[in-house]
Amino acid sequence: MLRSVLTTLGIIIGVASVIVMSAIGSGASKQIEDQISSLGTNQLTIFPGSANVGGRQGGFGSAPPLTEKDLRAVRDGVTGVMAASGNLNGNANVVIGNANWSTQVQGVGSEIEQVREWSVVKGRFFDAREAASGAKVAVLGDTVANELFGAGDPVGATVRINNAPFQVLGVLAKKGQAGGRDQDDVVMVPISTARSRLVGRLGAPDQIGSLLVKVDPRYNITEVQADIERVLRERRRIGADKDNNFIIRNFAEFLETRNQAAQTLGLLLAATAAISLVVGGIGIMNIMLVSVTERTREIGLRMAIGARGGDILGQFLTEAVLLCLVGGLIGLTLGAGVSFMVAKLLSWPMHISPVIVLVAIAASASVGVVFGFVPARRAARLDPIEALRYE
Amino acid sequence: MTDPAGAPPASEPAPGAVISARHLTKTYQLGEHAVHALRDVSFDIQRGEFVAIMGPSGSGKSTLMNLIGALDTPTSGELSINGAAVSSLDKDQLADLRNRTIGFVFQQFNLLARTSALNNVKLPLSYSRDPAKQARGDELAAQKLQDVGLGNRMDHVPSQLSGGQQQRVAIARALVNSPSLILADEPTGALDSETSLEIMNLFRRLTESGMTVVLVTHEPDVAAHARRLLRVRDGRIVEDRPTAEGSLRASVSTPRPPSSRCG
Ligand SMILES: Nc1ncnc2c1ncn2[C@@H]1O[C@H](COP(=O)(O)OP(=O)(O)OP(=O)(O)O)[C@@H](O)[C@H]1O
Ligand SMILES: [Mg+2]
Repeated sequence: MLRSVLTTLGIIIGVASVIVMSAIGSGASKQIEDQISSLGTNQLTIFPGSANVGGRQGGFGSAPPLTEKDLRAVRDGVTGVMAASGNLNGNANVVIGNANWSTQVQGVGSEIEQVREWSVVKGRFFDAREAASGAKVAVLGDTVANELFGAGDPVGATVRINNAPFQVLGVLAKKGQAGGRDQDDVVMVPISTARSRLVGRLGAPDQIGSLLVKVDPRYNITEVQADIERVLRERRRIGADKDNNFIIRNFAEFLETRNQAAQTLGLLLAATAAISLVVGGIGIMNIMLVSVTERTREIGLRMAIGARGGDILGQFLTEAVLLCLVGGLIGLTLGAGVSFMVAKLLSWPMHISPVIVLVAIAASASVGVVFGFVPARRAARLDPIEALRYE
Repeated sequence: MTDPAGAPPASEPAPGAVISARHLTKTYQLGEHAVHALRDVSFDIQRGEFVAIMGPSGSGKSTLMNLIGALDTPTSGELSINGAAVSSLDKDQLADLRNRTIGFVFQQFNLLARTSALNNVKLPLSYSRDPAKQARGDELAAQKLQDVGLGNRMDHVPSQLSGGQQQRVAIARALVNSPSLILADEPTGALDSETSLEIMNLFRRLTESGMTVVLVTHEPDVAAHARRLLRVRDGRIVEDRPTAEGSLRASVSTPRPPSSRCG
């Protein structure tokens, strides 16, 4: 019994690691999918890229910043752009009474709602006039609202952000985790307000950190992207032979690439699993050969009382498959347990797909058939007289 | 003339005989060296006979038992078991023949350890090609255990049974598929004389109800329970005669009740 368990260790470890890795891996790719949909589709992000001056590559952000004028040029000058918003991020301490919470403050335009597909569950978002005028108003992410107000209603309250009073206009709908970050741990303020109060020295008085664009789904996003690129190159006076000093990123596409990387990882995982199952299978073959030798007399007896070679073959194949299945099930349980623990401890999303469970069970059974065959055939080919005489 | 032991076998297999052996030889080739385990052995065994085979060690008794048990095929000669010519059968057909026709009893019992008496007895039925018998496995096995007097030991595993009880389980196993023939190679070799007597009495009762029993033994006391004695030496049958018991039976037309016997 103990010996059998030890023998199936290879299978147990093989199956368990497959389950753990795939649980974590597919958790990650599921997360990526969720992220894609939470980021909003048809969205382009534009930020200043490295300036290529006289063949020398400048650092990130060394290029001239984007401004409100660029934003307007893109929004009004490119067909297919549905909405656009600047984005200027900083960190700030938000205080109300004794409660205090350090969070990310995003200065955004009023169109951000549309661009990022955010929605407000309580109160309202700031409008275009408030966004432009530098009004001291804020919309809280779900986490911030909970931390500062608990079950209370934040709408209408006044919080202090970096010591300046801001009126809370509303609370954002919950978005959840993305890339290990809590997307709801955020406060949104008008970008003009952020510019004057919350972020430090700026390169331009109407600077925006990055430009977020929502493309009308009826237009081809690649063509719209090319148009935006043309408009910005013109505005930034980039010669035909020069590289862009800004970057346009299609985020969904970027995540898609990461998803493919995850799939490659999955392939690697499959290879690892195959190797450990083969190692496990060799263990099974070994113990089955030992078992056939130990039970030679039993085999002889069974043959004497009428078992055909095929019956003996079937019996030992069944035993090998059962052994592997038991190992597979133990591995499955172990793997699920470890995945669950990893998910708990590292707060990593976990997802065990029923497909991988079926694959694991089928794989362990096949290992039993493949590696049980040689010992089973040896048993089936024994001569009954010699087997009965075996000591 | 009704005495089968006296009549020299014809060259054709005897119709109706459980075993009909004609000119059987078995030669083992060990490298250059040929071992003639059996040389030109012919005999018939009829239904209901109780035959003891005796002979010195290495004379070919087990080889002969293996042949008539369809565990092995002769090098030359003809062997029919229940009218079926063994040489024409392939391995699977031999296995089926053993399953349907022959019950084996071994010196070392050969019961499956950690398996109850009932399940040990049932084992041959799991290889039966008759689904009706398989389905009635528990019932048939329980019946046979009753018959050998172990109705109250069905759930015991071999280690919880005495040697004689284990051999009786083995006999129940040999009987469970209603064979034509019980073959026992030194069935009392591992038992004391009292237990041996018990086993031999069981065999005798079986033959009285029509079962055919052939056993190999080294002990004249054990052989005396049989009714016919085959003596083997150097691969040949050197003696084929009724035992004292057999002669007595042959002269009395109706068997005496067992209680009137002594011995
Ligand atoms: N598989 C084999 N290969 C070679 N020789 C064999 C084989 N089986 C039996 N023999 C030889 O055949 C002869 C008869 O053997 P067998 O086992 O039939 O004797 P036995 O009468 O049963 O002896 P014992 O009373 O010791 O059991 C012996 O000389 C034995 O060595
Ligand atoms: Mg022998």
